[in-house]
Amino acid sequence: MKDLQYVIKEIVTEKRDVILSVLFGVIAGLTAVALFAASGYLISKAALKPPFYTLSLMIAFLKLSGFMRAFGRYLERYFSHRATFTILSKLRVKFFERIEPLAPSILQRQQSGELLARVVGDIDRLQYFFLRVFYPPILLVLVFVSTILFTTFYSLSIALILLVGLMITGVVIPALFAWKQRRIESTIREKRGKLSTDVTEFLYGFRDLKIHQKLPEKLDHLQHKSSDYLREQEREGIVERLNLSLHTGVSLLISWFVIVVGAYLVTTNQLDGIFLAMLVMISLTVFENATPMAVLPGYLEDSRRAATRLQDVEEEDSSEEQENKWHLPETEAFDIKANNISFAFPEEARSSIHSFSIHLPPGSKTAIVGPSGSGKSTLLQLLLKFHLPVEGEVLLGGNDIKHVAQEDIWAHTNVVLQENHFFYGTIRDNLLLAKTEATDEEMKAALQQVHLDQFSLDQKVLEKGENLSGGEKQRLAIARTFLKQASVWLLDEPTSSVDVVTEHSIFQHILRLAEQDTLLLISHRLNGLEQMDHIIVMDQGEIVEEGTYQELVNQQGYFYEMKQIEDSVLMQ
Amino acid sequence: MNDLKKLAKEQKGSRIWLIVSSSGLALSVIAQAYLIVRIVDFVFLQQASFEVIIPLAIWLAIALLARVGFTYLNGWIGVKMATTMKRKFREKLFEKFSSNPLQASIAGQSGHKVSVTMDSVDELDSYFSKYAPQVIQSTIVPLSILIVVAIQHFPSAVIMMVTAPFIPLFYAIIGIMTKKKSEEQMDKMAIFSGHFLDTLQGLTTLKLFGRSNQKKESIEQSSLDFRDATMEVLKVAFVSSLMLELISMLSIGIIALEIGLQLVVFETITFVPAFFILVLAPEFYLALKDLGSAFHTGRGSMGAANKVNEELQQDIQPVHWGDKTLRHLTEPPHIMLDHVGYQYEEDGFELLPVTAEIPAFKQIAIVGKTGAGKTTLLHLLAGLLPPTSGELKVNDASLNEYQEEEWLGQISYISQHPYIFSGTLAENIALGSRKDVTRNEIEEAGQQAGISGFVNGLAQGYDTIVGEGGRGLSGGEKQRVALARAFLKKPSFIIFDEPTTGLDLFTEQILQQSIQTLSKQATMITVAHRLHTIRQADEIWVMEQGTIVAKGTHEELLQTTSVYQDMVNVQKRSVTL
Repeated sequence: MKDLQYVIKEIVTEKRDVILSVLFGVIAGLTAVALFAASGYLISKAALKPPFYTLSLMIAFLKLSGFMRAFGRYLERYFSHRATFTILSKLRVKFFERIEPLAPSILQRQQSGELLARVVGDIDRLQYFFLRVFYPPILLVLVFVSTILFTTFYSLSIALILLVGLMITGVVIPALFAWKQRRIESTIREKRGKLSTDVTEFLYGFRDLKIHQKLPEKLDHLQHKSSDYLREQEREGIVERLNLSLHTGVSLLISWFVIVVGAYLVTTNQLDGIFLAMLVMISLTVFENATPMAVLPGYLEDSRRAATRLQDVEEEDSSEEQENKWHLPETEAFDIKANNISFAFPEEARSSIHSFSIHLPPGSKTAIVGPSGSGKSTLLQLLLKFHLPVEGEVLLGGNDIKHVAQEDIWAHTNVVLQENHFFYGTIRDNLLLAKTEATDEEMKAALQQVHLDQFSLDQKVLEKGENLSGGEKQRLAIARTFLKQASVWLLDEPTSSVDVVTEHSIFQHILRLAEQDTLLLISHRLNGLEQMDHIIVMDQGEIVEEGTYQELVNQQGYFYEMKQIEDSVLMQ
Repeated sequence: MNDLKKLAKEQKGSRIWLIVSSSGLALSVIAQAYLIVRIVDFVFLQQASFEVIIPLAIWLAIALLARVGFTYLNGWIGVKMATTMKRKFREKLFEKFSSNPLQASIAGQSGHKVSVTMDSVDELDSYFSKYAPQVIQSTIVPLSILIVVAIQHFPSAVIMMVTAPFIPLFYAIIGIMTKKKSEEQMDKMAIFSGHFLDTLQGLTTLKLFGRSNQKKESIEQSSLDFRDATMEVLKVAFVSSLMLELISMLSIGIIALEIGLQLVVFETITFVPAFFILVLAPEFYLALKDLGSAFHTGRGSMGAANKVNEELQQDIQPVHWGDKTLRHLTEPPHIMLDHVGYQYEEDGFELLPVTAEIPAFKQIAIVGKTGAGKTTLLHLLAGLLPPTSGELKVNDASLNEYQEEEWLGQISYISQHPYIFSGTLAENIALGSRKDVTRNEIEEAGQQAGISGFVNGLAQGYDTIVGEGGRGLSGGEKQRVALARAFLKKPSFIIFDEPTTGLDLFTEQILQQSIQTLSKQATMITVAHRLHTIRQADEIWVMEQGTIVAKGTHEELLQTTSVYQDMVNVQKRSVTL
């Protein structure tokens, strides 16, 4: 419930719409009760052959409440839905605000895409919290209390019976089923998850299963899992029907008490018989307002889970923010130094970088090479303060990275990561990210420099750049750095999916632009590194060798061996 | 909808039960109204004593219980029916998927199939559990009420008959009006959520460029725009229920007015039938309205049913197998391709007839661009696809004369993305063997595949959980697991489909050593892209546009085939730059 608090906070800020939806909801609920009460009274009155005008008045009242009920319901729906969608938009912004400081570290993890997809679904799911959980009880209480107050004018005992009915249908039954629902829901989710995993494995792993002749076995598994899941679903469906039936049962039982007690009161002259029909009609109608309570537990549980998951995401990060006193120089290239740094990802047993030292003087060009998994990308992320090293220190321009704001580092570096995001929109939108005031000419020039002149600036880009090839994405990411023009370059295998000829040309251009700048290149190939000032060979989080290209070749060590492999693989 | 209707009708037993319980429900509704009216009449007009109404009160209690009971029964039958149907559909889907040989080659569509099996089948639920029972209930209950009212007081029944059709009519009109719009809105909702997700996933990029505040504003704005657009659609829906509410309210009002007039002015009706009709009228309209809302939920199932049927109706050509065995072979089988061709559905990609020979222990490399038909050829060789023309011969008999398990027992197929199942590393390797294997055998296979170094670094070793929900494996590690499976299986015919694409050169180098070992006891056919792998082959097949354009050794092809020369040149150029 605590997790839902901030959702409630957002609901409270939408005061006007919330009050209006409750107001019209109450009007609709009460007029319905009034309508049926009046019709019951009307018919009893009519039986006594009253003067015609009283009947006309009653009928007029009947019509009026009929209209009011319909319009009240309409307005209630209108305002409650508007409130819901406004609240949702606020929740989205709020969530964005909360998760923003956690990026990029939260996004570097495995399955972050899945996590975020779930989050987006969870926020959408919270739309039912206001509609189905938050305000139906308010409505219920208001309508019931008014109705019960009204009945006290005629009979206290009947008012009491209605009150008992309210407690049972509004509190006892929902509470009972809330508990049951929670248990069933969690087993259902578990069974569904299992079946879904099995179906996924069956379809994606089909060829491997087929070749290894494990298909019949897997199919058998599937049928079992499917049965398990169906059984739980069926149980849920039946409990749901039971819940609804019990709900109807109790309201009918209350009406039964109303009529029996009412009849007794009439026969003992404690109640005028003319009101009996009215009271019976009231009790039959007023419980309609309690029906939403039957489905409330399900929605509450759903909302609670969604809210908890959202909260979990936000709480995942715990890195305390240091005081940021120091600012990076505006335009000149600064040097980067790492002293004996070590780093391990929280979920990994082995550290990905240990006792690593590196110095990139201002204006130098350094390359890092090594097999995949050697910690190259992690090092780059440490230099960008995506994470802080567990041991050792990183110095930017001579100052500890702890005292430099992340934003400041990113504003002064040209970064190309292995995975670069492209947003839904156009090529232009995606380039403007790097430089808001860039002209079309500048952007076209940047595209040309990465050999993407066939792209028009208005060309559509889908979410995550889905409609772009790997090489195109890499080149667009480089084009963005050309527009940004910072004086420190940190590039993580920026051209691994680009063909050799284009790669060569783009790289020459980068070197021209970065002539005065500090540049660090993580390279997937060894060819072409002759132009770098310094090359570092990494393996398993450590420096194996370093030096200029010529030095390393002359040493005939690890680098030389790697170079031999590369040449042999390609040329042999 | 029609398909579903037919299926619902096939559930004869359930339908009869639904009719029975709905009739019971109708009876109890009518009895409830009648008894209430009688009790009120006794004590109010006839001034009877309380004792008189006690039996009536007991009957009323019974009627109420029956009403609840029948409502529950209706729901229960619906739920059972939904379970039966969902099970049936899922079983049919599994059967379809497992007998479809194409499943092996179209993994790209697997995401869709998972969603059909899970989500679409689940969406069928509301049709059988809610809509189908409601249709029966909403036919029987109002009809019974109408008959009773007609017997009691014909003019009221006439009013009901005249006004009732307006409710389904309105539902139909509004349904047509809002259907397109609301579907558009659903699409928009999906797109909108997609964009929000896109923004979240791109947060790193946004922050690197210092643009997150700008995006925050755009989230808020588009979120509010979306709200306004949704409200437009909802307004129509709300107006529709307003109209329905008004129709039923007005109709009840007219009935009340008519009865009141008859009762007071014309004195043609007495209190009991008048009150009776007044209590029944709302029940009548309520049942009709329920049908309307059930119709909406039922319609959601229609789309799902279409998706499921689309999957079920796909044509498949299964691979045929015979009863010959391949046991007691001393060396790998001799394979002949005699004009073997394959065409995916009409106008789909066609692999033109291939004639070739793969003698035992030979190493064949296939080269060619994406889309040349390399993988299709491998699938034909593996017996995963049935040739649509020609014949594949193994040791002088057609492949489909052998038992399926005999052939599959001989081969290993290692692709670019071997699938890792959720379970331990040991279980994943053990997949290679049909027999129970010992831990020693698994570890030995791991050793040969070069995975032991990596495994020893793991806290849990071979018991580390991998695959879905477990530890993620890198591309190179997955390949090594696949190789370990092969070492365990000891196949005589190994098929490699670009196993090292996407791996860095150093990882590839290590893998190649294991592949060499593996190939010593087997015939091997590899789709390759690196020159050094290709050069080692005994024979190279160059494929282009669905056909083999040349066969020969590296030196021969360099002399004769320009496509091959080009390919070699591209790789060489990458070194000299």
